[in-house]
Amino acid sequence: MSGLLRMYRVLFVANFQAATQYRVQSVLWLLFAVIRPVVFLAAWSAAAKAQGGSIGDFTVGDFAAYYVCLSLVSQLTMAWDAYDFEYDVRQGKLAPKLLRPLHPLHYAVVSNIVYKVMTLPALLPALVLIAWTFQAHFQTQLWQLAVFVPSIVLAMTLRFVFGWVLAALAFWTTRLHAIMHLYDRVSFIFAGQIAPLSLLPGPLAVLGYALPFAYMLWAPSEILRGGVTFDQAMLILLAQLVWLGLSWLAFVAVWRMGLREFSAVGA
Amino acid sequence: MRYLRLLAIFARTELQFAAEYRVNLLLDLFEELIIVVTSFGAVLILFTHTGVINGWTLPQMTVLLGVYYILQGANSVLFETSFERFMEHVRLGTLDFILIKPANSQFLASARHVQVAQAGQVVLGLVMIGFGIAQIGVGVGVRQGLAFVVTLACGLALVYCLLLVLSTLAFWFVRVENLLAIFWAFVDAGRFPVDVYPGWLRITLSTIVPIGIAVTVPAQAIAGRLDTLGLVSMVGGTVLVWGFAGWFWKQGLRNYSGASA
Repeated sequence: MSGLLRMYRVLFVANFQAATQYRVQSVLWLLFAVIRPVVFLAAWSAAAKAQGGSIGDFTVGDFAAYYVCLSLVSQLTMAWDAYDFEYDVRQGKLAPKLLRPLHPLHYAVVSNIVYKVMTLPALLPALVLIAWTFQAHFQTQLWQLAVFVPSIVLAMTLRFVFGWVLAALAFWTTRLHAIMHLYDRVSFIFAGQIAPLSLLPGPLAVLGYALPFAYMLWAPSEILRGGVTFDQAMLILLAQLVWLGLSWLAFVAVWRMGLREFSAVGA
Repeated sequence: MRYLRLLAIFARTELQFAAEYRVNLLLDLFEELIIVVTSFGAVLILFTHTGVINGWTLPQMTVLLGVYYILQGANSVLFETSFERFMEHVRLGTLDFILIKPANSQFLASARHVQVAQAGQVVLGLVMIGFGIAQIGVGVGVRQGLAFVVTLACGLALVYCLLLVLSTLAFWFVRVENLLAIFWAFVDAGRFPVDVYPGWLRITLSTIVPIGIAVTVPAQAIAGRLDTLGLVSMVGGTVLVWGFAGWFWKQGLRNYSGASA
């Protein structure tokens, strides 16, 4: 265990040093995290104003709070390993990485965390600006702030592991981009990006609550803005745990089968 | 005329490449369909809660989304791959081989790699525009139609100029991996009329990254919400930007020193 910790420390130092070289690139990627939430926030605000100030139980200020939280959460939970992994498989760069004493997962965890630590200082002022422009109204209570912590950790882990399940599909197909685009579109609808789940029309909302995608983005955002009761928050945490467990099992299974497939191809 | 013929040749050779991977081709078309359908779905969901957004009705928004996908599709068909390859050429120093070809270098860099399969988006965009216009019903006269075609051409030109300028920057910033990411970050904002956005974003989308007006103005023209002043300034602005982008390209080219220098 202490060996692993030492390994992590070394990896973190090396990753931070590498990351400081690409600061412009990081800011560019940040634009993605900010613009999509603002697009839908602007549309919902305009719609709410046309309806006399609110839609459902969302006022313009509530929409603003929701989308500011969503932007923060989508940045914090971001996971891009499937793209890198497919590239490695396609270019034959995976084999040497598999020979290393640590599972590729560990390297991904470190670079993921480093990226987020590096970009957060730039994201926060942008979020303050958005919250101020749209007069965001947060109803967050102290207990919701406390529940947000496990919820965001679960969301980060869930999205990360889910991303790795998809990444491992690269063992079978190098057309992972099509799958990733599909994943992006499904999240677009069901993760709470085009609307908070409660505003989706009936059957879509039911699907949204059942599928894992909402527990990566919508759930922590809704908790952070203060839009859930205590019972709802506990249910959300439970659903996050269940989906995380299922994703992990799927990852272990897919990875094991994939490795067998991979060595067969390489031999 | 000669350039149109060249374009047709490019399209044919690239289609031959693409036809080698037929499953890919089908997957691409399927993806385009999913993307357009989900985007339209998002607009429909929005309109289950309201009848109008900032003065835009559902049929008008349908036209706007159609324009958005025509512009996006044109970008994917003509420019996207071409500019990516162009920046790769600058990085590797192999741009020399393009510069010595007996055709305009700006044209070769912009449209060499025509991706015919991406035309699905354009078709879907046209369908949406047709559908939207049919729903608007009366009131789309010859004048609006004409203004629509003119402003759509301007919108296309504006998007093209933006991509050209971003790609030209590769002459100076070879290391910055892909400046087209700026385009991809802002393009999402084109799916709604530019007037719903707060000041700073509206101004960005109307000036430095003119995706907003490129999509919104043609849709306004169809809806009869574009006055003569708006039309004239759209055309005038496009001419100015077009001139600037061409000049900028030449400056960049002068800065390029080749592979062996």
